Amino acid sequence: MNDILQRIATAVERGKTDRDAPYPPDLRGEEGAAELTARALQQGIPPERVLADALVQGMQAVGDRFERGQAFLPDLLIAARAMTAAMAHLRPAFESGAVQHRGTFVVGTVAGDLHDIGKRIVAMVMEGNGWKVVDLGINVPAARFLEAIPGQDRCVVGLSALLTTTMPAMENTVRTIKAQHPEVPVFVGGAPVTAEFGARIGADGYFPNPQGLVRHLGRRGV
Amino acid sequence: MASPAAPMTPRGRLLTALARGVPDRLPVTTHHVMPSFLERDLGGADADAFFARFGLDPIRWVAAYRPDATKGQYFAEPDPAAPPRVAAPDCRIRIETSRQAAARTVRLRYETPQKTLTMRIEEDAHTGWITERLVREKTDVDVLAEHLPVLLCDVEAVNRQADTFGERGLVRGMVPGFDPYGQPGCWQDAAQLFGIEALILATFEDPAWVHHFLRVLCERKKATLRSMRGARFDLVELGGGDASTTVISPALFETFVQPYDTELIALAREVGQRIVYHTCGGMMPILEAIADMGPAAMETFTPPAMGGDADLAAAKRRIGHRVCLIGGFDQVHHFRGCTPATTRAAVRRCFAAAGGGGGFILAPSDHFFEADLELLEAFADEARRCVYA
Repeated sequence: MNDILQRIATAVERGKTDRDAPYPPDLRGEEGAAELTARALQQGIPPERVLADALVQGMQAVGDRFERGQAFLPDLLIAARAMTAAMAHLRPAFESGAVQHRGTFVVGTVAGDLHDIGKRIVAMVMEGNGWKVVDLGINVPAARFLEAIPGQDRCVVGLSALLTTTMPAMENTVRTIKAQHPEVPVFVGGAPVTAEFGARIGADGYFPNPQGLVRHLGRRGV
Repeated sequence: MASPAAPMTPRGRLLTALARGVPDRLPVTTHHVMPSFLERDLGGADADAFFARFGLDPIRWVAAYRPDATKGQYFAEPDPAAPPRVAAPDCRIRIETSRQAAARTVRLRYETPQKTLTMRIEEDAHTGWITERLVREKTDVDVLAEHLPVLLCDVEAVNRQADTFGERGLVRGMVPGFDPYGQPGCWQDAAQLFGIEALILATFEDPAWVHHFLRVLCERKKATLRSMRGARFDLVELGGGDASTTVISPALFETFVQPYDTELIALAREVGQRIVYHTCGGMMPILEAIADMGPAAMETFTPPAMGGDADLAAAKRRIGHRVCLIGGFDQVHHFRGCTPATTRAAVRRCFAAAGGGGGFILAPSDHFFEADLELLEAFADEARRCVYA
């Protein structure tokens, strides 16, 4: 891999956002994901290559460690933040059409549930994997998902719930979306949610971590 | 310890398990009993009636605080749906409540000479949550430290409850650092006051400030704990799910959670209080680290099917000789939507995994909001049949 792409991947994996970021201490004062990405683009490396060969690789590395129990949610959070800082430099390429999104990921925490952190990490990881993200936030009623879906290219929906009391709202949201947009895949996640529950409420899949969803969509050729 | 011949009282049974002894049978109880469940499924029965109806070993939660008259503190205007709030001459509290559909919004203003801090809480039939954090700027912690009253225990009120409850079960309390929405552990409190995502990021960006914040909360909790001397709680809760490894890493736990809560547990022991460390979420990577803090008991041992990671048998092997284990039961899958036989089998699996040699209290791993009554009956009945031969 190109040296600068490798350095971007490492910066993302280790959560080094920019030069001013004090973490990680051994990289203090060095360029972070933001500056390195800007420099890679200046060197003429295509944005899609920066995305695929650097950002995705960095998130993949930390995601793999997360799946093996060797990394934890803060590691994902800080890596995703570094990746978001880098994405700011790639966004113009997506907006101009020079680089195509893989699709649109409409995501939200279901009605009655105000938990944000898990949903935000999934959203950041999806963006770092080339998806346009429409984050509807927390406590999102089913009707807002219906409003958000029309017109989105290759739309995929992600629903999060962290409370057992809001799992019925997740079911209602899945069924509402499927009634009007049966072609739109709906995926679910969150601490009390299981694959069995997801299947029962008509979701297209359950993933306990963002990498699982990314891999699944990759296998589907999206 | 040999198994006693005569049935124990519920309190005796629970205390025996807390001391890692062998009770007459498997103690079985719950964490909180949610008011919405009592209202909807049991016609508004109270918690005592709930425990009696199902034959569970009862728990009574007691939260009783008093203003410090020597500092001019007083109870603020009452909020009919909440315990009285302690105000002070340099910290006036204004409370506004409003209701929209099933949700209730409570807006709190803490007016101090330095700054007015605000907080908003929303509640529905099941639970409450914070929608506006009290600490929004880092310097807000210093305002909190300087002016907001520390809660002091009303020992007489606690002991009146303990006298009334007698041998019927355990009197449980917690160590709040702040009112309202005070949480037991220092990290848990900080997470509620500042937001967990912001707090995690601050550990990377400004760890000195996070330590300052935690130190402020720790010292406040120490004052609360000292005031609990003589209060006849059987068990006092510390910790919280935001310190679980489904939220933070073992490294963050060891750096930002363990040092502060260890101090509190040591002080609790000095003032005669027994601590249960509550970690609803991932526990397995930090089992020994929690036990090292010196609690008498640990909960909730949430199983993987509920988003936790507990392996009860492994936990029993690793720390069962050091602490009592509380929880372990999957209430999401075995209090609803299954057969009583399935629920009974789940009880037996928990007993087989963690019941050996005593020191285990079976309970749902944290709250439950919904339950089929026949499954609750099966849960309690099967647990009562789990005896120590």
